[in-house]
Amino acid sequence: MSQHLQSALTEPLVEEVERRAEEAGVDYEVTLESLNQWQLAWRKFKKHRLAIIGLGILGVLITVAIVGPFIMPFEFNSIPKPDKIVPAGRPPSLVHPFGETGGLQRDVLLLVVNGARTSLFVGFSSMAIGVIIGTIVGSVAGFVGGFVDNILMRVVDVMLSLPLLFVILVASRFFGNGNVFLIVVIFGLLSWMGISRLVRSLFLSIREQEFVEAAKAVGVTDRRIIFRHILPNAFSPIVVSASLLIASNIVTEAFVSFLGFGINPIYPTWGNVLSNSLTFLLQGNWWWPFFPGLMIILTVLAVNFVGDGLRDALDPRSRA
Amino acid sequence: MSKYVIRRVVQAIPVLFGITIVVYLILLLAPGGPTARFANNPRVTSEDRDAFKKAWGLDQPPLIQYCRWMGLCNPDKGGNVLGVLPPADAFIGNTGWPQFLPTPISGGTNGVLHGDFGVSIETGEDVGARIGRAALPTFILVGLAFIIWVFIALVIGVNAALRRYSIFDQAATVFAYVGYAMPTFWLGIMLIFTFGGPGLNILPVSGMTNTRASPPFGSDAYWTYFGDHTINALLDIGRHLILPVFTLVVVNIAGDSRFIRASMLEALGQDYVRTAKAKGLPGRVVTFKHALRNALLPVVTNIGLEIPFLFTGAIVTETIFSWPGIGSLTIGATRAFDYPTLMGVLLITSFLVVLANLLADIVYAFVDPRIKY
Repeated sequence: MSQHLQSALTEPLVEEVERRAEEAGVDYEVTLESLNQWQLAWRKFKKHRLAIIGLGILGVLITVAIVGPFIMPFEFNSIPKPDKIVPAGRPPSLVHPFGETGGLQRDVLLLVVNGARTSLFVGFSSMAIGVIIGTIVGSVAGFVGGFVDNILMRVVDVMLSLPLLFVILVASRFFGNGNVFLIVVIFGLLSWMGISRLVRSLFLSIREQEFVEAAKAVGVTDRRIIFRHILPNAFSPIVVSASLLIASNIVTEAFVSFLGFGINPIYPTWGNVLSNSLTFLLQGNWWWPFFPGLMIILTVLAVNFVGDGLRDALDPRSRA
Repeated sequence: MSKYVIRRVVQAIPVLFGITIVVYLILLLAPGGPTARFANNPRVTSEDRDAFKKAWGLDQPPLIQYCRWMGLCNPDKGGNVLGVLPPADAFIGNTGWPQFLPTPISGGTNGVLHGDFGVSIETGEDVGARIGRAALPTFILVGLAFIIWVFIALVIGVNAALRRYSIFDQAATVFAYVGYAMPTFWLGIMLIFTFGGPGLNILPVSGMTNTRASPPFGSDAYWTYFGDHTINALLDIGRHLILPVFTLVVVNIAGDSRFIRASMLEALGQDYVRTAKAKGLPGRVVTFKHALRNALLPVVTNIGLEIPFLFTGAIVTETIFSWPGIGSLTIGATRAFDYPTLMGVLLITSFLVVLANLLADIVYAFVDPRIKY
């Protein structure tokens, strides 16, 4: 039906353009391109040059994280015997473009490639947990309202008042045990509050709009209203803040691992590789902490660029 | 106005109460508990562990422990109800008044409500005193950094907004993106490589004072030394401050300068700015008197919300540069499973967050006449 409606609306327009072109003596054929919402968003996203660069960097990093460890496997138990131990490690060379660490004489590139997998995994999956919890809490608070809303939002207030970095640190130390999955769960459980506030406010404003009222009037169930009418309209702000959550979780993981309370060094992450370098800090091996840190900066930059692009592309008020 | 303030203060009370419960829960749920620190010590028998628990009151049911830690319950009254709840008479202080009232009335001295955060398991000192001692170096470090970064962020943000899309604006944008993405610890390490021992070796990279030249900071001997050699001591602290302050400033300018730029842009687009320009006022007056003063309203709130950061924000910077502040204290307490100290730090910082929120709201309502309350 919508196809029919569209052509009924656009046909006079096409005819008008063709008529004018004929008058001007130009051979002119008009084809109509109908774009759905995603194609429109992608068109706007493409114009955001930084966002495309960010998407490219992110794509490369994710590919490295998935494929890299197969090409350069990290075997914790069978450390290749270094031909000659140099306490400070070796600066970047052709064989080891990122240099070698002190101590066990590991290739920094190998650590960075394997760290990408864990760091990105932590960033993305803890974001997923945080977004799911935040969306559920926010939806319930915003849709049900009243007493439930009051209680849930006071809980959010309390959680946001806690110094989260301290709490994450303490929780990782006491519950994490260096386990990747536990760390992911801890991060997820402590990062949903912002999203829940956002979703609640979106629900409060969308709930009052005419189309929801119309749906209610024709007797649509609450469940259908939430999932078919409100949530899709709340989608884009959630996606944007989810992308920012990835960046902050990657940095927080690096921070917690850096302080030695995060992920066990048998699973290298950018944070714990950096952390291990501290012991040898005064030997002057700058390449050891430099490259993992550079990867963190690149990832966060890329994610933020993509987030900015998404914000512009998914905003229905901006037109490309 | 006063009605609004009172309402906001009353609203903050359940949040504060909730914070004490959450802080208590986090540490109650932690596996191992305070005796985990003996886990690898073969000389501590299980009897020793029980004695330790009894001595610290850790053998009591959790609710009674919480009640005493809060200062709601009188620790002199033993017993329990159903093995879980504190007995009714525990809420009465030794003077016959309810225990939670201030010390002169109730005679109670224990618990958070009476300003007693307990005794550190790690060192045996009073937790309040430990935190108080660590607070001074943190305030010096972050306070100085805060003043510098707010000032620089103001200059950058306002100029970027005035010359929107200029090269300066674009450079500021790039700087903000990179500064935001840069982890504090990485910047700190790179600074150590450049200016510290491994590199140019021109700046101290660790601690607050030169321990070879003076007694450790905070001790009585240090203050005597400080009185005798004030200029030298200040210069010494100043030299040690350079790298950590620089780290904090670079990392924090990013967000604030963007915020100030956005706020300034919004103010510049307002009708009253156009009116002021149209009636021929000089550019300076329009910028500073009409636009900037209004742009500063949201900035003041934002800065108010950053105040608790003075307390918690330097945890990484303090670790890297071995600065003897709250951050180092927390890391040490986390390593040592020192529950009372951790609870004290968590509680005080959360209270500061609530207080800053409250203050920001009230100040905002006060300075912006458009806000109705």
